[in-house]
Amino acid sequence: MPATTAAAEKLLLQMVDDYTTREISPEDMPMDAAGDFPAGFMQKLTDTGFLGIMLPQEFGGAGFGPEVTAAALNHIARGNASTAVTLEGHFKTIDQILKFGTPALQKQLLPSANDRIFAFSMTEASGGSNPMGISSTATREGDHWVITGDKIMITNGGLAQVYCVLVKTAPKELSVFVVDQDMPGFSFGKREDFIGLRGTPVGEIVMDHIVVDNDHLLGKLGDGGIIGDSAHDDARILMGAVLTGIMEHELKIATDYAKERKAGDKPLTELQVTHRKVADIAMRKETTKLLYQRAAQLKAAGQPYSEEAAMAKAHGSRAAVSAGDDTLQILAGYGYSREYPVEHLIRDARAMEIAEGTVEKMRSAIATAEFNK
Amino acid sequence: MKIVVCIKQVPETNDVTIDPVTHNLDRRGLAGVMNPFDKNAIELALHLKDTATDDVQVALLTMGPDDYAESLREGMAMGADEGYLLSDRAFAGADTLATGYVIAQALKKVGDADLILFGRQAVDADTGQVGPIVAEFLHQPQITYAASLRLSGKNEVTAERLLEDTKQTLVAQLPAVVSVRSELNTPRYPTPRNIQLSFEKPLTIWHHDDLDLDDSRLGQAGSPTIVTKVYAPKPVKRELTPLTGTPSEAASQLIKALKGRQLI
Repeated sequence: MPATTAAAEKLLLQMVDDYTTREISPEDMPMDAAGDFPAGFMQKLTDTGFLGIMLPQEFGGAGFGPEVTAAALNHIARGNASTAVTLEGHFKTIDQILKFGTPALQKQLLPSANDRIFAFSMTEASGGSNPMGISSTATREGDHWVITGDKIMITNGGLAQVYCVLVKTAPKELSVFVVDQDMPGFSFGKREDFIGLRGTPVGEIVMDHIVVDNDHLLGKLGDGGIIGDSAHDDARILMGAVLTGIMEHELKIATDYAKERKAGDKPLTELQVTHRKVADIAMRKETTKLLYQRAAQLKAAGQPYSEEAAMAKAHGSRAAVSAGDDTLQILAGYGYSREYPVEHLIRDARAMEIAEGTVEKMRSAIATAEFNK
Repeated sequence: MKIVVCIKQVPETNDVTIDPVTHNLDRRGLAGVMNPFDKNAIELALHLKDTATDDVQVALLTMGPDDYAESLREGMAMGADEGYLLSDRAFAGADTLATGYVIAQALKKVGDADLILFGRQAVDADTGQVGPIVAEFLHQPQITYAASLRLSGKNEVTAERLLEDTKQTLVAQLPAVVSVRSELNTPRYPTPRNIQLSFEKPLTIWHHDDLDLDDSRLGQAGSPTIVTKVYAPKPVKRELTPLTGTPSEAASQLIKALKGRQLI
């Protein structure tokens, strides 16, 4: 790595840490309570240039690579996992436009990714993990495509202005188009009231005969499955980073409390039961970190990273829930109180056992990859 | 207009120890960050640049080991145009006087600075002396502890100076040296893109032989400061007698007061 790259990455993470401590972390508990982010919050994030961290410089972004982008989300998640997941949804979508969009589409759309949120939508009421079960369609009419359907449970749904949507272009053919909230026929539907990551908007979009040019097709017709898998892979690396951030937060809460609290005459730090829990939290955190960093390294090197990304999310999500449970137990009554963030960290981590592919699906993918070796 | 902001890299931690032999701060092995007060000085320079109708160039200058370039890059990522690093083993061990001397000589070489800014003090040694020392070496007017500053004429700045129990409004002809307080502004964050672009901005490193220097004034040899003890002084409450009227009347009052106390 060139010295200037390393120095720039160090400076980025220093800035992200500083900004998270001062501006993002204090909003974590209020965002969880309100189920939303405060007015002006996204604008501040935009003004600080966070939306363009991984966007190439030719499109006005900073052009940081996969490893440091994941590290930046990890640092943000130490103070506020919802905000990190909002950025994860944005970054994975940009990644697919970079991988599969034509140069003309990239030039048209990507400069706006510095100040507009992007989202990737696959799930429908009739199909989540089974993409062939979806009902949304794109029908060719002359030089255009007409898109119709409902997409639900979209990370950043309702917040994002640009959406990559998975649709059927034939009964057994999946394709991805890019639509904009300003297009006629586009509207927002219901917003979900989830138990975790409550500062990340998750909602529905309704597409009622949206007309798009052919250049809004990502990749080729029928590439929908490949693009969807790619979006999952990219998201799973970033989720591994977010989960590591949650566990770093949990570990800090657990150790800070143990250092201050006594059980009878003995400090908690001298109890073997505390040792076991703290060591387990630390090991879960460190293994997840190694997994997401490994996946990000492979991605940066142009190597396959699908299996490693699945491992980072599958291992990390259960690890963060278990680490939260151990933290709660160390804090006992305080851990069970909503005045402390532990229970909300568990709810945040739990979301990632489902989002971007369930852990069951992750294990299938990992096992299949192993059988094929 | 050219503004030069002099900055310092300080240890990241508050857990700085005192060297038991020299009684100086022991900075060995500590990661460094830009002195927080210096960010207020940079923000002031960038605000003047952003709001000026004429072209304003903002340069940063620091003295220290090669890794102090990190703070220069951070300042350039905030928006400064270029950086100067004064780095040489001969500068090591300098007190505020020897540091001020090298910085003043470097500022002469940078040339044509209309305004030279400092943070009020560095958070590691807390002296606040280098800015005033540089002003003396350059024979320029100085304003310390400025809580506000504006360009009040073509070659003039007006600053409000916050002291312990009073405020002063001072006007200085440019070129001038000003040190600023943190009340002045909220420093901007460098954006990720500007962090990347800062590495394309010019950073000049000057070593000993690049500057016109008197070796007897450098490093430890050029530092008259001897730290014998480090302790927190008790606060002293001083009586304040404001001088009013024209400068001539104020001078008469001052002479009278000093004579009355048999100080002159």
